[in-house]
Amino acid sequence: MCRWINCYICRPMRKVLLIALTLVTSFSIKAQYPGYTAVTELTKFKTEFAAASQKTNSIKSDFVQEKNLSMLAEKITSKGKFWFKKESQVRMEYTQPYQYLMILNKDKVYVKDGQKENKVSTKSNKMFQQINNIMIDCMQGTTLNNPNFKTRVFENKNSSLVELVPVTKGLRELFKTITVVVDKKDYSVTSIEMLELSGDNTTIRFTNKELNANVPDALFIIK
Amino acid sequence: MQPVNADISKLQKFRPAFTVALYNTKVDVVGNHLSGLLLIKKMPDSSLRMVFSNEMGFKFFDFEFSADGKFKVYSIVKQMNKRSVLKTLRKDFELILMDKLDSSTASTRINNGLLYHIFPQSKGYNYYITDSTGNELVRLERASKRKTVVEAIMQNYINGIPDTIGISHKTFDFTIGLKRIER
Repeated sequence: MCRWINCYICRPMRKVLLIALTLVTSFSIKAQYPGYTAVTELTKFKTEFAAASQKTNSIKSDFVQEKNLSMLAEKITSKGKFWFKKESQVRMEYTQPYQYLMILNKDKVYVKDGQKENKVSTKSNKMFQQINNIMIDCMQGTTLNNPNFKTRVFENKNSSLVELVPVTKGLRELFKTITVVVDKKDYSVTSIEMLELSGDNTTIRFTNKELNANVPDALFIIK
Repeated sequence: MQPVNADISKLQKFRPAFTVALYNTKVDVVGNHLSGLLLIKKMPDSSLRMVFSNEMGFKFFDFEFSADGKFKVYSIVKQMNKRSVLKTLRKDFELILMDKLDSSTASTRINNGLLYHIFPQSKGYNYYITDSTGNELVRLERASKRKTVVEAIMQNYINGIPDTIGISHKTFDFTIGLKRIER
């Protein structure tokens, strides 16, 4: 482009460029979640999500976790079983291709890798505290009320997608966004995706979900 | 230890031929236990990437060991981002990777029927200790002029990749245990 600000050739060109840029940006926002459109009626969604979660006292499910290492073009896939019981008890048992057990019970975390057991108070471990909060929020339908995130909601025919962008410093260092997909039918969580700043991500997909299944308290006991 | 003539090129067969391997990893450091997964991958440019994350996908570090001996940190969690930690991890993994076997400065000595293949480093030495035939890698060591700093093992090679790797520090409480995961 020439150095004359009001050059009669460049001015329209700049306009075209600007329009093109706007189009590209708006297109990329839409393409972020293909097939989804933004939900503007947030209050309605919030109420329905919370109401549905009210009815869910327990969840029993299988899960598949996929860790994508983008720069290495590698995927680490693991599988296991998941249990949730109100108010805030979670058990995740990885069975393949490694054994790992994590129990969240109120503000305590228990982990067992192979033979070694470890008890952590979430108060002393920020990472577990965050994971704990996100998990519980997802299961209790209170995700949208978490002040640590800026949220947007999208939807398609069968699912709603909640996008969480961390606003607090500690979380911003860990995640770029977290997206939670819930089934519109019962507002149960279908998947959670955690996107890191590096472009790597971890997705946990829940399958064979049983809502309000018999989930014994013994599963969450931290000895 | 007596100096002895030995064929150092025989060590090459113990050099791990990583393409891509995932290891179940246990780290114990001064009373703290950490477990996770270590992914080691040879990249198209011949560099080697090492990514350590926990079982739930949370990444602790991402290192690159390039073919020309350089070391790059792509990411590391704040708690581990200390010069001494990085230096230790780099040296430990370089001992295992066996990329810097400069035969022009190497020598071999014999002690109690074991061959000590000695490779001087910028500070200290790396030892690769084999049986007298040179066909079995007994252990690896990182040493200062006076004492052993690290002892390591690499065992049960499958297609050139060790199934079990152990790194144990002698001057402070720090061990790394790797067991390959079949995917």
